Amino acid sequence: MRWLRALLLAAGLLTSARALATDVKVIANTSVKADIISAPELRRVFLQESSSLGDGTRVQPVIEKDGPVHKAFLQEYLGRTQEDFQTFNRALVFTGRGSMPEILGSDVEVVAYVARTRGAIGYVSSDTDTSVDGVKTLLVIPAGNTAERRLLTSVEPIYPETLQRLGIGGTVRLALTVAPKGNVENVALLGGNPILAESAILAVKRWIYAVGRSRSTIEVSVPFDPRP
Amino acid sequence: MHRRIVELAVVCLWASLLVSHAQEFKVLDRTVQVHGFISQGFIYTNDNNWLTMNTSQGSAAFTDFGLNMSSHLTDKLLVGAQVYDRNLGQLGQYHPSLDWAVADYRFKCWFGVRGGKVKTTLGLYNDTQDLDFLRTFALLPQSVYPTDVRDATIAHLGGDIYGTISLKRHLGDFSYTAYVGHRSDSIYSGFAYLASQYDVYYSSYGGLQYGGDLRWDTPLKGLLIGVSRINQDLSGKAKFISPFNPAGGFVPYSDTSRADWANQFYGEYIAGKLRIDSEYRRFLHSNVVNGGILYTTDDVRAWYVSGAYRVTKHFSIGSYYSRYVITIAAGGPLAALFPAQTDTSLPANHVYDKVITGRIDLNRFWNVKVEGHFMSGNGDSLYPDGFYPQQNSQGFKPNTNALVVKTSFNF
Repeated sequence: MRWLRALLLAAGLLTSARALATDVKVIANTSVKADIISAPELRRVFLQESSSLGDGTRVQPVIEKDGPVHKAFLQEYLGRTQEDFQTFNRALVFTGRGSMPEILGSDVEVVAYVARTRGAIGYVSSDTDTSVDGVKTLLVIPAGNTAERRLLTSVEPIYPETLQRLGIGGTVRLALTVAPKGNVENVALLGGNPILAESAILAVKRWIYAVGRSRSTIEVSVPFDPRP
Repeated sequence: MHRRIVELAVVCLWASLLVSHAQEFKVLDRTVQVHGFISQGFIYTNDNNWLTMNTSQGSAAFTDFGLNMSSHLTDKLLVGAQVYDRNLGQLGQYHPSLDWAVADYRFKCWFGVRGGKVKTTLGLYNDTQDLDFLRTFALLPQSVYPTDVRDATIAHLGGDIYGTISLKRHLGDFSYTAYVGHRSDSIYSGFAYLASQYDVYYSSYGGLQYGGDLRWDTPLKGLLIGVSRINQDLSGKAKFISPFNPAGGFVPYSDTSRADWANQFYGEYIAGKLRIDSEYRRFLHSNVVNGGILYTTDDVRAWYVSGAYRVTKHFSIGSYYSRYVITIAAGGPLAALFPAQTDTSLPANHVYDKVITGRIDLNRFWNVKVEGHFMSGNGDSLYPDGFYPQQNSQGFKPNTNALVVKTSFNF
């Protein structure tokens, strides 16, 4: 039975190692309009492929120095090691294709920087106190979690009369959190005209999806065409 | 030589203690970042002198450095420039050059433009080939990235359009670059140096360069594949001593491209601490000399497979196999001086290189590499491929083993 004990011990060690893994949360300055960001969008921001979010908000990434928080963030959202990410940034810097992002030493420094810097977006360990003025936590939609759930009942949004008369239209992008039962639990604005968004949010809250195994996040676009 | 290495080590140690991250200052409320690097190598070979150095005696004439400044003028507009200088045996000779100077505006993730002197995107490493601190190896596979002719592909004065498109249904990301510009070689490059053995001395060499790169970051995590193409229309001006009338002194010499292109296919796979790369390049260089007294066509096929593994935070190992073959055809009245070379099994028409490397990162900014090259063939031809007759006047030997030690520092 010695081998069984060894196996159990190894399994226990693995479990402990997993439990020790750092969880991170993504934070942003309150000037960033969105409350939700998709994992691919987050990746593009930190790989300097994009300097704004889908809603047009300018963002400026800030990173932590090498350590468990930085490692966990890179692993989870960028799929890179600390050394790979360092190499990547240096390649950008020495070929004229990017600049070195702001690097800070601790969670506290990141929170303080994000609080005072317009458009700043960073990450800290999940147990860090971020309840300070100027900082909000972004919900990250994991890649592949925008599961397709069949829409059973939809409600058309009401087009604000004044906007329609003035010919103002566009598309509102929303992230819906859909409960297992199929009702829309929460709506976050990803982009679009704020007045049209109000109308769109009122409508989608009444949408009903097919029953699912778990809660899912779905990105939807609600178009408003002013033409009759 | 040893004193120089010790001096460099002291400078690196001192500098690495001083710097933490980027050096920055403000101009008109804009942050300007300053970055730089310096590297010093030493090569010893048992047979044949390599890369225009007297390596069979041991040579440290292997130095390069660069310094750049850049600033984001707006969220989407980046401007910057880098000066680069090197001495590699007889090449470079410490004549500094403007490595890149760009204004880069990224409208969207999927569309950006950059103009000025721009590093050329070609395969995995063309634009970063001078930056050895980015990788495990001291020397990139010389079959695909010959350091003695870096000028041939390194940059163009012109513009790029580029972008990254996320494919739907989680099919990964697709990146593109298309460019057009003017290439201008240093007269201290390998091509000009090789020509000097025939008493041809270039005053200028360059021309139109255009091409593109497509790469797919596949849904399989860590796997990237891509293809690049470059076309060039080049001309060179030189003076030379005619072999038919040596007493006549220097007379004008010119050459122009008939066909000059390369196709490159590549793949990269990264899984944790393991990195595997492979590339294939077919390169055709055909030109006409002095309006038709000589036509030459160099046809190069080159590939490599490399693997690198980060054993610990401070220690990495790597190995690659690199294979280069060249065939040469000549025509015109002077063709008899340059017989066709078509048998790639001959040492004169190939270089096969087996390499093993160890890299130690002393800290975030400073590393030391030790690398062994075990080469078969010397590619002695009309196109530069590392082995030059000027340094091997006793004739070439078929095999060469090389020890490369290199240290580099960056901030």
